[in-house]
Amino acid sequence: MSLKNINVALIGNPNVGKTSVFNQLTGLNQQVGNYPGITVEKKMGFCKLPNNIKANILDLPGTYSLNASSIDESVVIELLLNKNDRLYPDVALVVTDVENLKRNLLLYTQIKDLEIPTILVINMADRMEHKGISLDIPYLEEHLKTKIALISSRKGYGIEELKNLIVSYKTISSEPCLNASIIDAEYFNSLRQAFPNQLLYKLWLVITQDVNFLNLERNEIRSSFTKSHSDLKRLQQKETIKRYQFINDVLKVGLKIDSSVAKDFRSKLDRILTHKIWGYVIFFLILFVIFQSIFQWSKIPMDFIDSTFATLSTLAGEHLPPGMLTDLISQGIIPGIGGILIFIPQIAFLFLFISILEESGYMSRVVFLMDKIMRRFGLSGKSVVPLISGTACAIPAIMATRNIENWKERLITILVTPFTTCSARLPVYAIIIGLVIPDTYVLGILNVQGLTLMLLYVIGFGTAILAAYILNIILKVKGKTFFVVEMPNYKLPMFKNVAINVIEKTKAFVFGAGKIILAISVILWFLASYGPGKQFKNAEKIILENTKAHPLSPIEFNNAVASQKLENSYIGLMGKTIEPVISPLGYDWKIGIAIISSFAAREVFVGTLATIYSVGGSDNENTIKNKMAAEVNPVTGEKIFNFASGISLLMFYAFAMQCASTLAITKKETNSWKWPAGQLVFMSSLAYIVALIAFQILK
Amino acid sequence: MIQEIIAFIILVIALAFLIRKFLFKKKSDKNCGSGDCGCS
Amino acid sequence: MQTTIHSLKKGQKAIILDFDIDVIPLKLLEMGCLPGNEVELLQIAPLGDPLYLNINGSHLAIRIETAKLINVELIKNKQK
Repeated sequence: MSLKNINVALIGNPNVGKTSVFNQLTGLNQQVGNYPGITVEKKMGFCKLPNNIKANILDLPGTYSLNASSIDESVVIELLLNKNDRLYPDVALVVTDVENLKRNLLLYTQIKDLEIPTILVINMADRMEHKGISLDIPYLEEHLKTKIALISSRKGYGIEELKNLIVSYKTISSEPCLNASIIDAEYFNSLRQAFPNQLLYKLWLVITQDVNFLNLERNEIRSSFTKSHSDLKRLQQKETIKRYQFINDVLKVGLKIDSSVAKDFRSKLDRILTHKIWGYVIFFLILFVIFQSIFQWSKIPMDFIDSTFATLSTLAGEHLPPGMLTDLISQGIIPGIGGILIFIPQIAFLFLFISILEESGYMSRVVFLMDKIMRRFGLSGKSVVPLISGTACAIPAIMATRNIENWKERLITILVTPFTTCSARLPVYAIIIGLVIPDTYVLGILNVQGLTLMLLYVIGFGTAILAAYILNIILKVKGKTFFVVEMPNYKLPMFKNVAINVIEKTKAFVFGAGKIILAISVILWFLASYGPGKQFKNAEKIILENTKAHPLSPIEFNNAVASQKLENSYIGLMGKTIEPVISPLGYDWKIGIAIISSFAAREVFVGTLATIYSVGGSDNENTIKNKMAAEVNPVTGEKIFNFASGISLLMFYAFAMQCASTLAITKKETNSWKWPAGQLVFMSSLAYIVALIAFQILK
Repeated sequence: MIQEIIAFIILVIALAFLIRKFLFKKKSDKNCGSGDCGCS
Repeated sequence: MQTTIHSLKKGQKAIILDFDIDVIPLKLLEMGCLPGNEVELLQIAPLGDPLYLNINGSHLAIRIETAKLINVELIKNKQK
């Protein structure tokens, strides 16, 4: 007989290895989603425990305290205050780091006050020897009123014992370990009398926080027991002091440090990595290595994916029974899927590097180094991670801005991140550079095409910084000025954690963006294969008529018919409609089609061009490039893809806001339509103007 | 022909998907946690 | 000698005295910045800001504008 799964919540400070514990317990049986209505990540996993008991493990966002200072942290409170929530835990695991036990225990004492059965997990036990730390577990268990699991998620020990503890959750004490209400006995007593059925600490949290509390009307409590903002803060300070006093007393006996044994690796590394010269040199070197690797290493897998799908597409066309569905599959769906999968190498590598930097603790040092510089541009040191992540995809980058405390700095970071060259722009850049930039070398070793690509990246970052600077001056947004970044100890990144992180993020991207791109490819194919009117329907007759005098060979005939059809298809008509607007930029209606379709997802640009040049023709990648190179303006007789129009296209894509998903997430994170709307208008105009100027000057 | 029917069904699915994605963006997002969302 | 965290020199230790509770966020208190706790300045960022501190065992960095608001009493330390 299967019992209901037990709900286990993982809570703890950031940097304690909570994610490692989560990974150890769930392996790859995890899924990442969103809490409804907000963009905080919801990580859930499944774990088989001894005695045939199954557990749903919920990895809550890292937080220092239940007094939430960000949306992430408020998610924790809301869950823990709502007994009726499906995910309300049967047992809470508070994960702590043996080196930071003092601070970690603050959260622990707060959780205990919620009277949930709580297991104290002390992680990083493998470091105890190095640091000369010894613990009196029985003493701690007695005074903290819990059961302790001393583990090392890195080395993998203690996990089985932890699982056994979870299984015996009904025997775990849910008694608070200290009585904090004595900080103002009178106040809390009257509170207790007014609401005898509610947990005192819960009531206190509702009074001090902006929390949604289902069972009780917040106004009910607040109106009768309200205090001034100042008074509340004073009480909270007293509460915090009381808790730390308790913790200090317990740890005085329960934890001993033999400092003669302690090795201090951290400060040695810190001295170099935050050095006024070497710190920056090392950082830029690391960035350089990252970007070089991403390009070099991704080339081979990307080419492989590319040619595989080109082949698949041809094979499908040849071997499946002829008909509309086959055409849809071989010309729409297969290239569409290929267009999504081709991103995986780059995104995976970027997430890999960022993961390693964060796991190792180095990212905090980068934030430390860059904060002052970034502030000159209205950004925060913490903006570094989103700006770098933006080179993979702006969406996770914008989500990463959540840890920026100052609202103005956060807003500006969100608004300028889309300027950084995201991986979706790469296929566009790659094909255009391949067409119009000569494949030569300058100074003997620097490849001009490669340099152009680097230049585009620099333009991306440069524009982001410049835009930030301008926004900083223009925007009159109030933001509380506060900044704190924890500087965790350095650790060797755990392969398992990094791997799981990369897999999860890549999966999320591929399935999320991928679905959109696939849907668009399908629609695009239809729009390109059908058209209203006689010009489309009677394509063959028309071509026959026009070439009566000089009949064409069968191949030429087919190509001519395909062209005629395309030009008069739905999408062809859309392209022709916007042609007058884009011809000053050097583009024709075919490019126009590609630009329109890439508004939903930039990656689709190349796929669209492939469709345009292959509808009715062959799907060989090479042929497409050749075809594009051979495209000629019917009026002027000049090549469509020339240096001027190529640069113009590059500039257009560098600045255009073409990602509906980015706009959507900006709206979510800023809670208003005005910001993404402004982004759309501003970036589109900028893209148009710069592309226009580029073409007019260079032609 | 069956090919055409299936192809059109795929088209409709694609359209429906995109419309839902872009109109529903205002409300909750993916993976609501199946069933009871706990939305207050 | 009384001063603020902002004026500490690298390697100096001090005891936190007091600060304006309305201006310093609760979060900082919860991370260990409480009257009576020890603070040590570990590193100063290359451009002078932020400051990397060890407060009550917590390693963290804060900006100078916050550091200026926290009053401390220097500890006479013997040279290491």
